Amino acid sequence: MNFLLDIDPKTFWNAPNGSFELYAKIFIALILAVAATVGMLYAPPQLRKWIIRLVTFGSGLFYVMFWLFPAPIDRQPTSAPRNAVETFSFWVSDSQLVVASLTNVISGFLIGLGIYSLLRVHLGRIAKQQRDWAFSAVLVGSMVVMVFFGFGDWIQHQDPKNFILADQKNWGLINYGRDLLFDGLLQNMDAGMFSIVAFYILSAAYRAFRARSVEATILLLTALLVILSLMGVVEFLWSGFIDKISPTNFGMHAFVQSFKLSAMSGWLRSNVQTPAIRGIDFGVGIGLLAMGLRLWLSLEKTGGEG
Amino acid sequence: MGNQYQDTGWFMIALTLLMVTFILINIYRAHGGKDLYIRRIAGLNAIDEAVGRATEMGRPVLMVPGLTDTTVNAKTMQAINIFAYVSRVAARFGNPILVCCYNASTYTVAQEIIRDVYQQEGLADQFDVDSVRFISDRQFAFAAGVSGLILREKAAATFFMGEFYAESLILAETANSVGAIQVASSTELTQTPFFIAACDYVLIGDEFYAASAFLTRQPVLVGSLIGQDWCKLAIIALVVMGTIANTIQQRGEISKEFKKGQMVDLPKPRQIKQSDTFFSHLLKADPADVKIEREKLPASELPTPSGGGSK
Repeated sequence: MNFLLDIDPKTFWNAPNGSFELYAKIFIALILAVAATVGMLYAPPQLRKWIIRLVTFGSGLFYVMFWLFPAPIDRQPTSAPRNAVETFSFWVSDSQLVVASLTNVISGFLIGLGIYSLLRVHLGRIAKQQRDWAFSAVLVGSMVVMVFFGFGDWIQHQDPKNFILADQKNWGLINYGRDLLFDGLLQNMDAGMFSIVAFYILSAAYRAFRARSVEATILLLTALLVILSLMGVVEFLWSGFIDKISPTNFGMHAFVQSFKLSAMSGWLRSNVQTPAIRGIDFGVGIGLLAMGLRLWLSLEKTGGEG
Repeated sequence: MGNQYQDTGWFMIALTLLMVTFILINIYRAHGGKDLYIRRIAGLNAIDEAVGRATEMGRPVLMVPGLTDTTVNAKTMQAINIFAYVSRVAARFGNPILVCCYNASTYTVAQEIIRDVYQQEGLADQFDVDSVRFISDRQFAFAAGVSGLILREKAAATFFMGEFYAESLILAETANSVGAIQVASSTELTQTPFFIAACDYVLIGDEFYAASAFLTRQPVLVGSLIGQDWCKLAIIALVVMGTIANTIQQRGEISKEFKKGQMVDLPKPRQIKQSDTFFSHLLKADPADVKIEREKLPASELPTPSGGGSK
């Protein structure tokens, strides 16, 4: 099984599987990681703050470089850089995969913390037999069973000899167990939760579309117009009526034709809704840029101090 | 990487740098003690009211910092910053809180920040580590878990802020069913109408990013907010100029068109299309195809046929 680094092309960041170079790099990385962790634990708070700022700035700077430094044009896998600028751009381009993997490695460690949080809350509740402890027992039980069958199935699929598992006839208890738990139960429960949205839309719309104010009345009328335009029978009958009183599309008739439900809802969507969404989008994008900038430069004081 | 020079050309890069400059200039101005005005935002005024109500009812305040798929990003950080303020108010009132996290990275960051808030308030002993919880990183399992918590704990106030998708209405309607006062904001615009329909107060668009500046009045945040306003003004000016210029320019004819980095003669003059206008060229580069001859890497550095570093 190939659990280890597998990146193309060859760079400083990878090495052939099973080679001394690869194991040496992994060992050095582990030593550096442990040293960094211990160093951070014992560093004075002020120094720790600066280390975090430097790491944040360095990581941000990498992605700024990745997006802003001119990309190598017409690069082939066998191409050698022509000058220092290309050497740097090739390096940034190749390193991005490694930097992205670093994020995944950190997330992997954090999942352990997430599972710890879940177990801490729910095992504690089961042990003390607190209110609704039975739900917690179901959660922990489901988790253990899913991990058992999920990993069992995954490991079997990693073995090239087990290509026969593609055919359901060759499945064993582990494979059927995973199929029942994941495809048979979890996926269907997900779909069940999603379908609830349909009913919630109805109850939320009922409250939102009451004409309590001018704004709510405008909302009600525009929503009604759009809904009616999507109802085939209503749209057909109304269009037929418009065509009858205004059979051509010239002069005054064109004005009358624009009162078809599809024309009105189309106008609302393209001339009212879309510009409004674009405007909000600009604001959100600029807000995100400012937030990202403050985080990158460590200007943000988290904790909401007043 | 760096492909926008080929795509949007130099102009978008210059515009981005201009916006960064606007934001940094205003942060500097705010640091200099300049008094900068921020308008009132109804949803944020409601935070104290919501937490106060939860205290009166003796029920918890529930917060969800969105469903970010990857690791913690700027949107999640902004949501957690707002929740830090909510937690501070709740801590002062001695009110229980619940922060429900969709991924383990958010859980870790949120727990540290909320713990810091309690320590800053001198109430470290009141911080319950289980008040910040990882629920699930599957969308509807998370929705089911949070809905269950809202129903069982009868949350008096709920705050949904950050990235939300199809589960937004499930969460908001469940909270509505237990009579919780709700303040929400989604960075996903498709979900904002659902929140408007189901919640008491909604922060729309960039109000979400203005929230921490409004709540804390930190000079950096206030300055940054004013910088954002300058950026918006610049964009409005561009839109207006673009509209006028395109309208005028499209009335004429051209005998040459810009294609793949050079002007090409047309067989006969034609009406100017939108893609021929100055602003269109400014925002969308159409570079020439470039062929570059490079030397080959030495054999020892060539990638192996089996892929990766495999022998």
